[in-house]
Amino acid sequence: MTEQQIPVDRIPDELFQKLDDSEKNNEFLAMESKTYVQDAWNHFKKNKLALISLLFLAVMVVLAIIVPMVSPYTYDGQDLSLRNAMPGLDHLLGTDKFGRDILVRLMYGARISLSVGFAAAVINLCIGVVYGGICGYFGGKLDMVLMRIADIIYSIPSMLYVIMVMLIFGSNIFSVLLAISVSGWIGMARQVRTQVMSLKEREYAQAARVMGASHKRILFQHLIVNSMGPIIVNTTLMVPEAIFTEAFLAFVGVGISIPQSSWGTMANEARSLIQTYPIQMLWPVLAISLTMLSLNFIGDGLNEALDPRKH
Amino acid sequence: MDQQKVLVALEDVSTYFTVSGGMLRGKRTVKAVDGVSLEIREGETLGLVGESGCGKSTLGRTIVRLNEPTAGRILFEGKDVTELKGEALAQFRRETQMIFQDPYASLDPRMTIGEIIREPMVIHGLYGTEKQREEKVVELLQTVGLKPDHIRRYPHEFSGGQRQRISIARTLALQPKFIICDEPISALDVSIQAQIINILKRIQRETGIAYLFIAHDLSMVKHISHRIAVMYLGHIVEVGESDTIYRTPMHPYTKALLSAIPIPDPIRGKNRHRIPLGGEIPSPIDPPAGCPFCTRCPDAEERCFTQRPQLSQRGDRAVACFALEE
Ligand SMILES: Nc1ncnc2c1ncn2[C@@H]1O[C@H](COP(=O)(O)OP(=O)(O)OP(=O)(O)O)[C@@H](O)[C@H]1O
Ligand SMILES: [Mg+2]
Repeated sequence: MTEQQIPVDRIPDELFQKLDDSEKNNEFLAMESKTYVQDAWNHFKKNKLALISLLFLAVMVVLAIIVPMVSPYTYDGQDLSLRNAMPGLDHLLGTDKFGRDILVRLMYGARISLSVGFAAAVINLCIGVVYGGICGYFGGKLDMVLMRIADIIYSIPSMLYVIMVMLIFGSNIFSVLLAISVSGWIGMARQVRTQVMSLKEREYAQAARVMGASHKRILFQHLIVNSMGPIIVNTTLMVPEAIFTEAFLAFVGVGISIPQSSWGTMANEARSLIQTYPIQMLWPVLAISLTMLSLNFIGDGLNEALDPRKH
Repeated sequence: MDQQKVLVALEDVSTYFTVSGGMLRGKRTVKAVDGVSLEIREGETLGLVGESGCGKSTLGRTIVRLNEPTAGRILFEGKDVTELKGEALAQFRRETQMIFQDPYASLDPRMTIGEIIREPMVIHGLYGTEKQREEKVVELLQTVGLKPDHIRRYPHEFSGGQRQRISIARTLALQPKFIICDEPISALDVSIQAQIINILKRIQRETGIAYLFIAHDLSMVKHISHRIAVMYLGHIVEVGESDTIYRTPMHPYTKALLSAIPIPDPIRGKNRHRIPLGGEIPSPIDPPAGCPFCTRCPDAEERCFTQRPQLSQRGDRAVACFALEE
């Protein structure tokens, strides 16, 4: 308020204008009360690509649950008389080199791939939010030490963790999860830290301190809640990353053990037939890419929907 | 006023910040508040006035322990606030509150108005059941002139003036004895400023709360302050009863501040000459060695540049200026 103000009683009468009725109750905005979630959903819906992606993912999840349950085939049931069958009525997506039904294996694989993806994202979310939140909120020496530790963990090539974990815990789905999570949370921690650092200077956080709120309350009920947008987006983007890592590990032969299937192991098995039956490679690759793509679209959609500045 | 009990006493309080001055200069000290002594009495409003950057907010924040004082003591009801712990600290948190300048940043955008006003009650476990709290929230909304059905709305649906009312309601939830109002009206339209001032005054009449009311020009504190303290570059240069300061300002800085206010009365306005405030306010990183105001003072003498005048009693007020000492 640096500009000179004319006191109200010195403003000449002719400068006053009569308010028309529409401006009368301006102080009381008659805006419809919408919650944050409703608002975000309305904006998300407008993004068709994100909406289709969400639908695709939902269908994938449902199929992953029911197909292995209702199908007459099992993921490991071999039918040596019917090897490398082309897609047909009996086997919608055909069979592999052991005569196993590809659709069931693909959907069984979806269970594993999606669970690994979501579980890894949730683990990384929890660790990253708490770790980054503490660093950003308390700052100072604690932050310095904790972030340097994170840097060190991050700088070691992740293959090294994979090899170590597999050596110690054997080759199974939990090892895969563990290997992904050793360093997977660090990106999230860094982001939450930056968010919390800037938000803690906001006056509502200061007001909470003055009214006697505990550090825990300020951090989790105010700062983290207000960083939720970027956190959710980041989590969505961690899912495809984890799915891809799992697929990659399976492809090079570490991870879940045969005859169980994941998209990565299916691609691995189809490798030897790529010249003769390329279609067997198509299914897992399609599943991996479409899922990753749709999760990325959902992430983008959420990014826009959750950020009021972008509306 | 004199017989009223002292609620908050500042004794030679300083708050310095360390900032890095870039690669070559290393660490530097910002003397945001430098040796301030003040008293705030029960039920009164002390106006704290000074230009932007002179340390008003820092002083307020130091009192409520958002900043740690570098030196000096802050006594609330006789107890040193920097040493409070446990239940005593919780009680201090109930009894002192703060209202912030920016009404758009001081309410958590993800909480409803009801949740915002209820939060201090939840933190301190006041008013028993959820239902009683809800009733209290409605009562507080009415106290500040908002409607009960605003309770489920979000801050972004309200104007600046309404948000400042919500902030006031939130502080009142704890029934404090002392509220620091850090430029609560500076961000508002002139027409709405008066409404907020009137609410604050009414609440003071009804409950006997004391305010430290911060503003950057004297016209804003005029209608609410019983006493006024003028701050310059981390120092208090003049304190006294509101009327005294307005009628007969003594410190050259107070005079300059006062002359900058447009006066609605044309007769008095004509006789008055504006005292121009030349130059910029010096940086609190390297303040002048002598009187903080010496670089801009029209009557600065030689000793003003080398020695620092102390705040001393001159009749009905305290003022820090060599020219006024005999
Ligand atoms: N956390 C901080 N770290 C470093 N310097 C700070 C910090 N807070 C305030 N300062 C500095 O201290 C000085 C006083 O700031 P303060 O916010 O108290 O002034 P103010 O009188 O409230 O100004 P305004 O009218 O603009 O609100 C300024 O020079 C400011 O840059
Ligand atoms: Mg300020």
